[in-house]
Amino acid sequence: MVKKTLSRIYIFLIFLFLYAPILVLAVLSFNRSDSRVSWGGFTLSRYVACFESESIMSAFATTLEITFCSAVIATIIGTLAAMGISSMKKRGQAIYLGATNIPLLNADIVTGISMMLLFVRFTNLGFVTVLIAHITFNIPYVILNVLPKLKQANRSTYEAALDLGASPVRAFFTVTWPEIRSGVFSGFLMAVTMSLDDFSITYFTKGAGVNTLSTMLYAQLRKGIKPELYALSTILFLTVLLLLIATNINGDKKVDNRLIRRVISAVIMLALFTGSVFVLVQQHRISGGGDRTITVLNYGKYIDGELLDRFERETGITVKYEEYEEPEEMYTKYKAGAISYDLICTSDYIIEKLIEEDELLPIDDSQLTNYENIDPALIEMSTFDPSHQYTIPYFYGTLGILYNTKDYSEDQVKSWDLIWDKQVSGHLIMTNSVRDAFSPALIACGYSINDTDPAHLKEAQMVLSRQKPMVSAYYVDETANEMIAENASLAVCYSGEAALAMDENEHLKYIVPDEGSNLWIDSWFVPKSCRNYQDALTFLDFLCDNEVALQNFEYVYYASPILYVQTHMDIDDRLNSAINPENRVTRNCEVYRALDNDTSAYLNTLWQELKSQ
Amino acid sequence: MGKKHLIDFVDISKSYHHNLVLDEFNLYIRENEFVTLLGPSGCGKTTTLRLLGGFEKPDKGQILFDGADITNVPANERKLNTVFQKYSLFPHMSIAENIAFGLKIAKKSDAYIKDKISYALKLVNLDGYENRSVDSLSGGQQQRIAIARAIVNEPKVLLLDEPLGALDLKLRQSMQYELMRLKDELGITFVYVTHDQEEALTMSDTIVVMNQGYIQQIGTPEGIYNEPENAFVADFIGHSNIIDGIMLHDELVEILGVPMPCVDKGFGINKPVDVVIRPEDVELVAPGSGKLHGTVISNLFKGVHYELEVRAAGYEWLVHTTKYYEVGQEVDLDVIPFNIQIMHKPESSDEKAVEIDE
Repeated sequence: MVKKTLSRIYIFLIFLFLYAPILVLAVLSFNRSDSRVSWGGFTLSRYVACFESESIMSAFATTLEITFCSAVIATIIGTLAAMGISSMKKRGQAIYLGATNIPLLNADIVTGISMMLLFVRFTNLGFVTVLIAHITFNIPYVILNVLPKLKQANRSTYEAALDLGASPVRAFFTVTWPEIRSGVFSGFLMAVTMSLDDFSITYFTKGAGVNTLSTMLYAQLRKGIKPELYALSTILFLTVLLLLIATNINGDKKVDNRLIRRVISAVIMLALFTGSVFVLVQQHRISGGGDRTITVLNYGKYIDGELLDRFERETGITVKYEEYEEPEEMYTKYKAGAISYDLICTSDYIIEKLIEEDELLPIDDSQLTNYENIDPALIEMSTFDPSHQYTIPYFYGTLGILYNTKDYSEDQVKSWDLIWDKQVSGHLIMTNSVRDAFSPALIACGYSINDTDPAHLKEAQMVLSRQKPMVSAYYVDETANEMIAENASLAVCYSGEAALAMDENEHLKYIVPDEGSNLWIDSWFVPKSCRNYQDALTFLDFLCDNEVALQNFEYVYYASPILYVQTHMDIDDRLNSAINPENRVTRNCEVYRALDNDTSAYLNTLWQELKSQ
Repeated sequence: MGKKHLIDFVDISKSYHHNLVLDEFNLYIRENEFVTLLGPSGCGKTTTLRLLGGFEKPDKGQILFDGADITNVPANERKLNTVFQKYSLFPHMSIAENIAFGLKIAKKSDAYIKDKISYALKLVNLDGYENRSVDSLSGGQQQRIAIARAIVNEPKVLLLDEPLGALDLKLRQSMQYELMRLKDELGITFVYVTHDQEEALTMSDTIVVMNQGYIQQIGTPEGIYNEPENAFVADFIGHSNIIDGIMLHDELVEILGVPMPCVDKGFGINKPVDVVIRPEDVELVAPGSGKLHGTVISNLFKGVHYELEVRAAGYEWLVHTTKYYEVGQEVDLDVIPFNIQIMHKPESSDEKAVEIDE
């Protein structure tokens, strides 16, 4: 009796460990509050938002298309391969089966990287490369499902059919096919599951602008978790679960309810098919293009889409607009030669690297009629482009302190001193990003945030380790939500996060301490791969137009380098230091310089030491 | 038999992965003949059948059917049908659908197919099984359905690849009678492959004994049994005493140092030969009255007879007798000249095959 109870508890614990994380996710997807720790009531709005989000739906459609196409093609190839393997001698079978199984065991990331390298050699990364990659890794799953059925089927029934006068094709379809059908179908479902589920390989083989649900989720998570992603993840989990159940039902002979099986398969096929059609239609609508086309690459959600339409209408130039999430991802792919764009927007330190590597074309500002609209201070601050000839600033922001006015007054947070003070103990969120954490520490020691002297860095580490006991958590993406939920009252974070948080909670304010801080500038540049320089400049000029910039600002909601925007934005925004830093602030700030490899390695070591103390 | 040749294998060679399975193989099969290919596994008998069925292509040589070359005709266009070793019924079809398979491909009318199904089921004594599923049948029943499925197509030749191998003894015997009955009723040619010599002796008009890709002997069951041409055939067709001997001169052979009169001539003088003596041909006589003196070393009761092992002159003789002898009893052995079968020792490579046992 006791034994039985114990074994039940044991099983319960196993399931708890297995499913608790997913359960938490599912519960959070119904949470009205944005916080991850407090329950704000039940809501379905996350699910609604999930289906209303254009980026989610387009990633969803891409996923369906890739999943369906790759599974169908892999099923055909895999089935044929299984037939070939089954008719081989034992030794040949073992060798071929081993060879096809290696990709199954190989680390996804290795497969992904090697495929990227191979594809880049021949073509640009894009939808097709992801599709090929998915077909490749799906084939072994199909073979593994079909082969046992073929072995069961025994070749002599096929020969018997030939003997009775059936042609090879007819013999296959009347005799072999019915015997392996269930294997082929479970192979297909398995392929769908794997394809739906894959992240690593897709991540490396996709081109900019192609996103499946998993890569989009990843990119979004890096930027900050939005609760509709909980809803999406829950849906994704349920879909895979259903597919697995369907696969098992299909493989189980005892479940002889053909109707149920047929209905399940029909529903899956229908869903995949409609998804694919939807995407094809959409893609057809997007493509078209004439002679005057520019290909533009920008961070995700970093422009008002209406402006693109307006630009196309006014100039007759077609914009092929693509987005990316991670500057490192863009950089790697750019260097691998997988991307050819006319215009790219990215972060300061990446541009500094690219300029050193001589990857950019100078921008002729005499052709930009709106060049005068740009705040000269910002151009001056673009130290990553020392000759000021390669870049046009787009948006910028600062690193500072987000605080709750219920607990702190503006005077208290005017200086970085506060975050080293014992009184903040337990309600301070420190940034979890290495350089951003070291910046205030370096400032506290009286050094520049770009200081590379190891002794100075070590000194900064001491400051940080003294601070560590007072820090309630090191966060990046979670900061805004925790501050909104008032789980902390002070946070070191970027102005962008701060602006988001302030929109949700009126008690929150943002300040850049007087000692100065980091200022980041995202800028446009023209890569050497540019094929339409003239129209690229026209686009840049358009973005610098006063009214255009204002409209764009209202969508993107980061500080704009266009002077007109700074003076014409809504009064509340103008007073909001998170999106409109005062000149005093920007003067004291510095832009990050790209660190050399040794310094960046040393910095990481110091950070690891600190975190493990 | 003066009937014309229906099938001719002409100089057929076939190898798998450098393994020669058939070498310069020649064989003809006459119309309405029951031919059995007999031999141990790996002797090439199944390959011969598969070549005839069209599932394999020879590396060299020709197969003629009714005088026409069918070497390159695909299996589905040959006018013959096969009954496979593992029955090979289509598991997802009913019995009737299985039997109708060939007829539907031949685009016969529904009425014709229906007639044929019930005729064929009657023929194999499985009346009324039309709608049963394959799984619900026993092994013997499945095999009979496989035969029915083949014969409804009225092939000129029926190929049978060890069709009774998976059945128990009782069932095998009754199926043997059924097959002979079918052959007489249908009047078609049977090419039957087996490794079971009793089966071959019971059913065949002609037996082709094969080993290592070579034909060892072709003949009637009686001819093969009574006059094996070499040690392999003698050993494979029932158990035999095969002894090294020296042909002293015509009609006298020395066995184990003892000269014995025989009826064979023309082997030359003092020639080494193989001597075959069937166990039932060895006579046990009172000590002192036979040619060889020996001791009984084992005794097994076999129903119709006793099977003894007798050690005499350094050789262990297999002897069948109806009289009882005790182990350890001393006896003399004798053989009448007519029952001593003299065979050449193998010389060429194809003859070598006779020495290597299964």
